[in-house]
Amino acid sequence: MRHTIRPRRARTLRRTAAALAVAALALASAACGTASGAEKSVADHEAPLVIGVKADQPGLGQRQGAKDSYDAYTGFDVDIAKYIAAKLGFTTGEVEFRAVTSGNRESLLRSGAVDMVVASYSITPERERQVLFGGPYYVAHQDILVRSSDTSIRGVKDLAHRKLCKVAGSTSWERVIKEGDVPAVPVAAPDYSACVNLLRDKKIDAVTTDDLILAGYATASNGELRVVNAPFSDERYGVGLRKGDVAGCEAVNKAITSMYQDASAQLLLAQWFGKSGLETTTDVPQFEGCS
Amino acid sequence: MTQVTPRPAQGSAPARAPGEARPAVPARPGVARRALLRLRLRSRPSRVVAVAVVAVAAVIALFTVTNASIGNARDGLRVIGHQAGPQVVATANLYFSLSDMDTQVSNILLYGNGKNGKVALGFNRDQSLGVYDADRTAADSAAMRALALTGSDPDQQATVQELLDGMGQYEQLAAQAIQLDQQSGHAPGAAPANVLAVQRQATDLMRQSLLPKAYNLTLDSGSIVRRTYEDKRGAVLDGRWWVGLAGLGTVALLVALQVYLTMRFRRLVNPALALATVGCLVFTVLATLLLSSEADHLREAKVRGFDPVLALSRTRAISNAMNSDESRYLLDPARADTYDQTYLEKAQSILYTPSVDLNGYNRGVNAAIGPAGVPKRPMEGFIGVEAQHITLPGQRAVVDRVLSGFRQFQRSDARVRALAAKGDQRGAVAVRLGQAEGATNVDFALYDLSTSSLIDIHQQTFTQAIADGDAAVGGWNIALPVTGLLVVALIVVGVRPRVAEYR
Repeated sequence: MRHTIRPRRARTLRRTAAALAVAALALASAACGTASGAEKSVADHEAPLVIGVKADQPGLGQRQGAKDSYDAYTGFDVDIAKYIAAKLGFTTGEVEFRAVTSGNRESLLRSGAVDMVVASYSITPERERQVLFGGPYYVAHQDILVRSSDTSIRGVKDLAHRKLCKVAGSTSWERVIKEGDVPAVPVAAPDYSACVNLLRDKKIDAVTTDDLILAGYATASNGELRVVNAPFSDERYGVGLRKGDVAGCEAVNKAITSMYQDASAQLLLAQWFGKSGLETTTDVPQFEGCS
Repeated sequence: MTQVTPRPAQGSAPARAPGEARPAVPARPGVARRALLRLRLRSRPSRVVAVAVVAVAAVIALFTVTNASIGNARDGLRVIGHQAGPQVVATANLYFSLSDMDTQVSNILLYGNGKNGKVALGFNRDQSLGVYDADRTAADSAAMRALALTGSDPDQQATVQELLDGMGQYEQLAAQAIQLDQQSGHAPGAAPANVLAVQRQATDLMRQSLLPKAYNLTLDSGSIVRRTYEDKRGAVLDGRWWVGLAGLGTVALLVALQVYLTMRFRRLVNPALALATVGCLVFTVLATLLLSSEADHLREAKVRGFDPVLALSRTRAISNAMNSDESRYLLDPARADTYDQTYLEKAQSILYTPSVDLNGYNRGVNAAIGPAGVPKRPMEGFIGVEAQHITLPGQRAVVDRVLSGFRQFQRSDARVRALAAKGDQRGAVAVRLGQAEGATNVDFALYDLSTSSLIDIHQQTFTQAIADGDAAVGGWNIALPVTGLLVVALIVVGVRPRVAEYR
């Protein structure tokens, strides 16, 4: 009765093969399951990429149009953000900008409302506990803005007994008067734009904050104001990312490296701050590291 | 598929076994039987051959899949163990030597005429010059090693080349500053303006160009290791399943062939085929076990070796830059505030306690670490994290030494700054450059030594895990094809005589 056995055996074999195939499929899908499931990364190329920039900082991030379109914002930070986004593989149509302020950057990153922040965002140990920093893409320094006609102020010490703008919520003026122990006379103002107006009107003698911010105002003043070039702190401007996005942070650092290697960074610095007389650094900064 | 129905067909359709594709339609039993017999005579050997060919194909698939999976393990070991991993060490050494060069230049300038002055500064200027020369040699060889390890990465190659160019430039500026300083014969402490002008160029080149490049190379190699680890270890783990599946499938086919031959030819077990089957089974089990252990070796190398080595190498680099900042702080009072601030930020990245100034920071560090260097609470920052991950023998004691060393380094730094703030430049320089414990020079060196010992502990774990991983896959490039050929040969040997019986 060998003959009758064969078809049955064939069926058994077929069933075994089918069972094996099912097992293989199950295993394959299980294997895929372990690979995905991580949180979103800016390196994953999931459009849109929402980038937070400043809307009111001349030279760094300024909104020109009413809408949040790709071309609505201009400035050094905005161009840096565009370069990084392109290196991450996003087309112009896949990038969205959103205005952020110094106060809401961490919360917007945490909630996922923005994927990335490029907004004169200094890396500090306190902020590093809340967000992950790619870069820095530039190390700014605290400096002094004066009227071009005023040649008496050449450094921090020369601010003694001169009127210095004191912006609410900023620590820049404190660094001069308290930590630097220079007896300047603080004059209160709501923000840096107001400081610059006071300076032009000769109501005060100097404004102090990050040199890139000052350079933006100097450029906008058409030669009326100038940066002293007396740096007295390091402000490392980083690219804010969601905490945990290590792959994204590494991709951002790679983009910044090539930005300096292909001279785009140098070009952008010259374009935005060349006319201000500020001496900029043209070497890639020391990165903070992604872990 | 043919079927022989024992029932004679008489007008009615023949009974069909379920699942049978082709209905048997013999018009007349005698003719059909003869036709089928002919068919079977022709088809039986070809069927045996067909199953044997499928079995051989399965064996080839099994060995190909295994080879690919072991290839992933090899790639992982090569990149992590022999390229990017060592590159982290080479570039971290480069950073350390470069940073120390700048520290020594600042120290040399700080001595001024102190060597011949009334206050003995202990450590002497010539010694600093000697250390500077040693650093220079070490930096050169580290740069060469880094260049050799960049492989085909054009970005890394460009960066190392820029570094080499910059190092030449730095050495020229440093030599110039040292010469001007010698001519000035100033009192210990801040250097005169003409010296500072050159020193600033040198130190800016170092801080803004050379050190960032070296540090970024370290980070870049670190990210290559992370990506490779995730890709390759994932592939090795998945590979286990594919090897297991291919192995089971092959064994099942060989067993089926065995059963078929046994029943068809009324033989006992076909020994060659049985050997091939057992061979495949043993191979599959061994290959799966190998892949599991390779995944473990990669994990050990990465988690307990590489990651801490990277973090602690960064700690060493940043600490050296702090030490450098302290000298620069004394040397260039106009920039003292900047060096003060950068010092604090660096300190916080190593051991975090919240503070806006160094005094508050030092109070925080003193409060957080017990007398023997045992942390009183979990802390953040590189050493803080390390202290929370004690997994290796001897690690605890060294971590405590690193922590107490760091605290001592901060204590003497605070003394230097307090003296400088009082205007006692000579006193500050003496504490900075002294040769006994309590001088930052010495306290930094002791702390750095402990950090190096800690790196060594993890480095050993790393090297061992990579060596274990290499050794485990070592013989497989020979064993794999040999076993594969052997199994195929056994199948041929087992099937050939049966096929020959038809001739």
